[in-house]
Amino acid sequence: MSFLSIIAGKTSKYSSLRLMSVYPTQYVEPIVQKDKQNEQKTELSKLYHVPIKAAVNKSSDTVFHDDTKEKMINYITKKGNSALARTLLSKTFELIKRTQTEHMNLAKGEKNAINTNAETLLKQAVENCRPLLQVTAIKRGGVTYQVPVPITTRRSYFLAMKWLLDAAREKERKVSLPEKLAWEILDAAHGQGRVVKRKDDLHRQCESNRAYAHYRWS
Amino acid sequence: MRIPTALYAARGRSPQSEKDVPFQEILPLRLKNTVSGKADSGSDVACLQEMGVLFACLKDNEFVEKYCHKEISQFQNCFKCYMDRKFEAKKTVNQGIVQPGSNLNYKQLNKYMRRYPNPL
Repeated sequence: MSFLSIIAGKTSKYSSLRLMSVYPTQYVEPIVQKDKQNEQKTELSKLYHVPIKAAVNKSSDTVFHDDTKEKMINYITKKGNSALARTLLSKTFELIKRTQTEHMNLAKGEKNAINTNAETLLKQAVENCRPLLQVTAIKRGGVTYQVPVPITTRRSYFLAMKWLLDAAREKERKVSLPEKLAWEILDAAHGQGRVVKRKDDLHRQCESNRAYAHYRWS
Repeated sequence: MRIPTALYAARGRSPQSEKDVPFQEILPLRLKNTVSGKADSGSDVACLQEMGVLFACLKDNEFVEKYCHKEISQFQNCFKCYMDRKFEAKKTVNQGIVQPGSNLNYKQLNKYMRRYPNPL
């Protein structure tokens, strides 16, 4: 089971914030994918008398469903235009596929070693960009220190995808987002490029600030 | 040579008479029925040791993560356990649901004391 589906299942385990929710607390998220319903068959009987939220308009039970893709589309979305975000991501995947197929055709030997599946490349890129810990600003004696602090799995995936998009948006006017995002994803999937460097810099900053870790409170 | 107190009295170092300074009970001279929650329960910082070990490993391996799998998983497990404990505590201890024993939270103590208040 993918990481995001597990996280989606336990939506608010650690956060008790229900900002702007139209639903009362008892309401439970719907399970749209048929295979996920089949996986949790034994737990479904508990939901018979629990009120369930309405499914989001754009959700559907497709073979092509992927949690990372959905999250990425949500992060690309601006002003609620998720249809545009979806087309942008599909163009990104097309570009990734084209570049990788070109590499594969030009490769002298071991053509199967080159991955052309854009989805798995995106997942790999996100995994490679995930930070292990983050920094928080803590004020002691008038000085604000950058203190290293543990990070939750959810936040690490969010930061990875956010950094990918930040790097993709830092571009010239003539370069389109799908192009730049495709390059960034391919770089990150191979463990090089700006986003992986940003993660590395964060780790180095944490390590250099390790003495301040005692300033934390829980 | 010890100077007797009487000589001090002659110079004005006499003890205070209570009539000059009447006793005023500004704060009530009784125990309260509540315990203050200000005592720092948040000073337990989680996973510092694991973090130190992780940093040492990363420094040795030039921040290449694949050589530090063990330390990374230890650190993440530690944090996960800590968050689980916190979640459980939030449900029981922090609500004030009393489980008899020692090391009670201030909320639990307050609930207990409300049942057996001090006589006025």
